[in-house]
Amino acid sequence: MILTVRGLEVFYGPIRAVRCIDLDIEAGEIVALIGANGAGKTTTVRAIAGLAPFLGAITYNGKSLTPNSAEHNLRAGISLVPEGRGILGRMTVEDNLNLGTYCRKDQAQAAKDIDGMFERFPILRERRHSLASLLSGGEQQMLAIARALLSRPRLLLLDEPSLGLAPKTTVAVFELISSLRRDGLTVLLVEQKARQTLKIADRAYLLETGRVVTSGSAAELANDSLMTQAFLGGTPSHETGAP
Amino acid sequence: MMSTYYAGLFADIGILFLGAMSVYIILATGQLSLGNAGFMGIGAYVASFLTVEMHLPLTAALVASALVAAVIGVIVGFPALRLKGIYLAIATLGFGEVVRSFLLNFDRMGGAGGFHGMKHVSLEYIWTWAGLIFLLIVMLERSRLWLEMRAVHDDETAANLVGLNTTMTKVGAFGSGAAVAAISGGLFAHHYVYIEPGNFGFERSIDFVLAVILGGSTVGAGAAVGAALLVLLPEWLRFLADWRLAAFGVLLVLVLLTRRQGILDRPLLDKLRFRRARS
Repeated sequence: MILTVRGLEVFYGPIRAVRCIDLDIEAGEIVALIGANGAGKTTTVRAIAGLAPFLGAITYNGKSLTPNSAEHNLRAGISLVPEGRGILGRMTVEDNLNLGTYCRKDQAQAAKDIDGMFERFPILRERRHSLASLLSGGEQQMLAIARALLSRPRLLLLDEPSLGLAPKTTVAVFELISSLRRDGLTVLLVEQKARQTLKIADRAYLLETGRVVTSGSAAELANDSLMTQAFLGGTPSHETGAP
Repeated sequence: MMSTYYAGLFADIGILFLGAMSVYIILATGQLSLGNAGFMGIGAYVASFLTVEMHLPLTAALVASALVAAVIGVIVGFPALRLKGIYLAIATLGFGEVVRSFLLNFDRMGGAGGFHGMKHVSLEYIWTWAGLIFLLIVMLERSRLWLEMRAVHDDETAANLVGLNTTMTKVGAFGSGAAVAAISGGLFAHHYVYIEPGNFGFERSIDFVLAVILGGSTVGAGAAVGAALLVLLPEWLRFLADWRLAAFGVLLVLVLLTRRQGILDRPLLDKLRFRRARS
């Protein structure tokens, strides 16, 4: 297991946003956290990234993570692309990418990796001197993912990467996430678009009001009654006979 | 040979320029300090004590006072991490008033009666320090550290996510800003050769901030433009007699209405550089 979460609880003042969540993620998997607004998905990944105080145990690569240790977690190989992308809008695309390499010691290789990102995302090369705030939503998401990849993570946390994107761009972002698996990356994907998420995920957890209500392989969850009622807008495919 | 009148004005500009740079460094990390007159006061009194009582050379006294203020700046910087925006501004204002009140009751250094005995310092010496600190800021603006400071300024969470130590950056900025304010204070003390706690009150902190906001808060050179205008404008408006300060206020409002980012900003600086290169 690259990541295990046991009994995770996160409080915002007196409010318990996450209630005793357990997660297991194997290296190389794409695991999805699916749930409506307020289900505790973002809070969970923020706790894993070290941006929120928590109770319970988070173990990454066999080592316990402590709360509020974002810098340490990043250096250990956990990178978060937050909801809203977290790009620095008043900086250029290139400066944003440069910042992605700040936690690395091998700066010569880091410069080569930035060139590699320009190969992978040609639009970012074209717009390298533009302010990041002037990019389209899809381009900003590419920039956010490229910046996160430049820290050379082993576990990438993606918080609603399709939020606010046009359908066509959403498809491109999901294809991009799917391609990360081929790089050997482990991905924990937070999403509300359950149908598309389950197509690229290996496994998924369904969250409701801070709790895991069901979990399993993506194929199982596509037929799970809780999931279909809440997110897929219909009855499970095994009941309808649909493939 | 410059007249005493203009020499006095240029000395004031140099001292205000340093004070404005002290605010600029802290502001670069997104923190607004209204207490830099407190650091200036610490610098003025420590440097004066060292030159008058300990007979240290002024340069050594200034460096020592900057170090003392930097340590105090770091101590102030840590609790300031918990505050943002207007709350931080008010807290730093409180710090400035604590320093002023302390000096008022600190009889060893003259208390309310002030302290004197310093040797007058030349205009060139003041501007050597101002030039040196400005050069350091220009170098900082071209460094990796500046990108980190801007990231912390723009979005602290995003800065955290790329592995920046935001605590170190913010506290470091507070310490550096305090050190520069202290140098400004030491030079003030040795220019006027007399200091009293009232010299380092709230209005002085506002002057520092105003110089940065007016001159341009996104480039170091803005502090120089702001300091020059704040000192020279009231002088140029003397023909308006009793109305000059009101006219000065109106001009300030007009400038800020037309250039919210201050008189100087990066695009304007680049344009000026381009023209100079072409000519």
